[in-house]
Amino acid sequence: MSAHATTAPEELIHRIGHELADALPHHRLGGGIDRQAIDRIAADPQLKAALFRFVDVAPAARSQREAAAHLEALLAEADRLPGPFAAVDGLARRPITAPLVGRGATWAVRRMARQFILAEDAAGATRSLAKLWDEGAATALDLLGEASVSDAEADTYAARCLDALEQLDRAYRGLPGRPRLDADGTGPLPRAHLSVKLSALTPQRHPFAPERVSEDAKRRLRPIARRARELGAHLHLDSESLDSREAVLSTALELLAEPEFADGPSAGVVLQAYLRDADEVLDRLLVTAGRRKPPLLVRLVKGAYWDHEVIDARQHGWTPAVHPDQAATDRAYEALTRRLLDARPAVRVAIASHNLRSVAHAIAHDRHGGGDGRDLELQVLLGLGEDLRTALARRGLRVRVYCPVGDLVAGMAYLVRRLLENTASDSFLDRQAHGASVDDLVRAP
Amino acid sequence: MSGGETFANQPVLDLRLATERARLTAALAALDARLPLRVPVLIDGQVRHGDELRSLDPGDQTRTVATSARAGRDEVDRAVAVAEVAGRAWAERPMAERAAVLRRAAELLVEERAGLAALAVRECAKPWAQADADVCEAIDFLRYYGERSAALGGPLPQPPGEQNSLRYRARGVCAVIAPWNFPLAIPCGMTAAALVTGNPVVLKPAEQSPACAARLVELLHRAGVPAGALALLPGEGEAGAALVDHPRVATIAFTGSAGVGLEILRRAAEIVPGQRQLKRVVAEMGGKNCVVVAADADLDDVVPAILDSAFAFAGQKCSAASRVLVEADVAERLERRLAGALSTLVVGPAERFATDVPAVIERAAQERIERFQQLVRDDGGELVLGPGPEPDVAIADGCWVRPALALGLPPGAALLHEEVFGPLVSVERVADLDAALARVDALPFALTAGVFSRNPRTVRRIVDALPAGNVYVNRGITGAMVARQPFGGNRLSGTGTKAGGPDYLLSFVDPQAVTENTVRHGLVV
Repeated sequence: MSAHATTAPEELIHRIGHELADALPHHRLGGGIDRQAIDRIAADPQLKAALFRFVDVAPAARSQREAAAHLEALLAEADRLPGPFAAVDGLARRPITAPLVGRGATWAVRRMARQFILAEDAAGATRSLAKLWDEGAATALDLLGEASVSDAEADTYAARCLDALEQLDRAYRGLPGRPRLDADGTGPLPRAHLSVKLSALTPQRHPFAPERVSEDAKRRLRPIARRARELGAHLHLDSESLDSREAVLSTALELLAEPEFADGPSAGVVLQAYLRDADEVLDRLLVTAGRRKPPLLVRLVKGAYWDHEVIDARQHGWTPAVHPDQAATDRAYEALTRRLLDARPAVRVAIASHNLRSVAHAIAHDRHGGGDGRDLELQVLLGLGEDLRTALARRGLRVRVYCPVGDLVAGMAYLVRRLLENTASDSFLDRQAHGASVDDLVRAP
Repeated sequence: MSGGETFANQPVLDLRLATERARLTAALAALDARLPLRVPVLIDGQVRHGDELRSLDPGDQTRTVATSARAGRDEVDRAVAVAEVAGRAWAERPMAERAAVLRRAAELLVEERAGLAALAVRECAKPWAQADADVCEAIDFLRYYGERSAALGGPLPQPPGEQNSLRYRARGVCAVIAPWNFPLAIPCGMTAAALVTGNPVVLKPAEQSPACAARLVELLHRAGVPAGALALLPGEGEAGAALVDHPRVATIAFTGSAGVGLEILRRAAEIVPGQRQLKRVVAEMGGKNCVVVAADADLDDVVPAILDSAFAFAGQKCSAASRVLVEADVAERLERRLAGALSTLVVGPAERFATDVPAVIERAAQERIERFQQLVRDDGGELVLGPGPEPDVAIADGCWVRPALALGLPPGAALLHEEVFGPLVSVERVADLDAALARVDALPFALTAGVFSRNPRTVRRIVDALPAGNVYVNRGITGAMVARQPFGGNRLSGTGTKAGGPDYLLSFVDPQAVTENTVRHGLVV
């Protein structure tokens, strides 16, 4: 697959990387997470496992005592504990202090979760959305939910989606205009932007019969798409693991091909760069993208299910469908970035990465092709890319914050994925947190 | 020769790929064009055809998958006599040579995997993924037992002047009495274990799946198993009974219901005229498999795991989940979610890739399961029925049973104690985990069990208290894989042997300790 524009020179990528680094608040990247604590956890696999498992179960605990019992039992799995955790463990064992430890630990988990989760529901998110807008950032709202196992649960989720569209419309209606966020070269951009998940939209789980899954998902998605069109909102279908990849793609592409949706709503899908066949997926997206009036928004991500895919493949004796390491994914990401940017205006492109190099590369490729950043969107995750968001906004670029909304129990799977990302030793976040220089951070993968 | 360390499970097909699905569908079309197949009595390479029995497609009883001969008493006698003679030469071949024959057979199965899976789809209504897994498991058994055979025996103390060795020798004719629910893997596993250790085999397949067994036997012969060392005796109960009673049968490898298994154990214990050794019985029998759900379990995981364990292949696995015992605090929520999830199951023909619940094996099974459904109501429980077959299915032609949940049954209800072997699972509310464990412990069965909890201490406590042969933590309770999950039950569920485990072959051999005096005239020579 050859791009029609030439590749941006490394020198330009480096220059943009430095521009962004200079625009960082306090000249540092990262979210608000306590880096010391993360380091200590990341350095000890047993402790990491114990704490992840606690984070997963804590919100479901029925009492503080039960939370303490979990914490103590999980810490007991580790051979030896670093000082502070040994002290916690000791307190959790004693009947008198156990509830206090339970309360403290649960509080800590909630506090951490609140960095990644915007609010309990869409209505409660209104003020935060306005604040982000005021700071120069658009949002993508993601309704966290348990996996739907029944039609009733999927119906409830669909109703939440409809409600979220109304809430988003209301939240954004009165806000002042922001040219960079309100339009790109192809026309006006919806302010209300809702991301939905297939695993919540349908209880059908048939990795081998994707058409079965997408039929059911489309049935629930149609009323949501209609309402999004009426309100002028954007509707995005998220990607999950490979088990549902085909169903997600066919749901989106088939629904958007229905005559009723030829002129709207604005819609989008996700391209996961870690998949070794991402290029073929993009081929399919590009075929469809040209057939509709609103450009298809493609959010390019690295992919959040790497561990899952590798484990699943290894357990089955298959070659993993994902790139074997971060560098290979990063290289694929850049190649896909170029293909996507070169495919405009049939697609709108959202670069969703916290990797300074990946972001600088996208901006450089856009600029190299004569762009001024107007037809490029950058997305960050709430709580993980706060400093990058500020820098991007300061540089006058369009940045959208992906904001999960929902209760903590439902948010656990999301939270654990984010924590994994934060504590992976080969992650970009880890490298930059440990003081890698800007030159190192923007070096070609 | 490898010692078992190189074994790797045959990967199942990645059916997420449309190309793989198309390949299987084509194999089924090719098979359908050849139906009905004919399954003969096969002794010493001689076939006798007959049309006494018919094996029907469970999803469409108007389709005959195979007609087969019914082995009679005289054929049982002849098969055993031939096997006894041929077995001597087979036993004299080096273990490595027999293992190589099994490896060749594994390769033949790999080459024919799509066709074999198609056969399981048609003859037993195994949905594709399960049919493919059945083929893979059969391949695994051939390779794994081949490798394990090299590891039999170990070092003994060797003082000066004394040479000690422990050898394992073939026992003699092995009668393999196989079930239909894993129509390739289970007959293949039992047969492979007996063959690799030097025993001739007389295989009596289930009357519901003779074609699968016949193809397996053909491939084993083609791989190099001597004609006389492996006989195929299709038939019903009498052929099996005649084999069990036969004085020259040394080992009986059986997988099936508890009723038949216990009868085999009883009859095998009786010495009959002409018998010179104790019969050994390797029996894998039924279960009443319990899943214990603690209040801190993640129901997002529990619901799909129970659904799959209870309803995949219409619950016709000895490992299938049959009772769920859930702590009262989360019981209402689990019941509601399970009931909701039940209605999303796809009941339909096995050859459709969306099918969760296929037709059950035969009319008698359909009627038995429906009787159990009625019993739930009679015993005062609530029966939550799942969907019927897909709208385009000719219901009258297949053995369709709606998957169902049984709620609120009193502890004495029949369903809580008897094996159903169908898509019916009960949910019981328990005050706490001790109450759950007491109920599990009261059962005579102990095949598989499951635990769901996020507290490692709770998990350990439950695992320690469960009597089951296979315990699964925070996952479904079916799908044991060769070498990774050696499979077999305790208590009345089985003789404690572990199919696909490191010790399994010991059930097919007799040990012999040889001690040689190596001192001559005061010198060690």
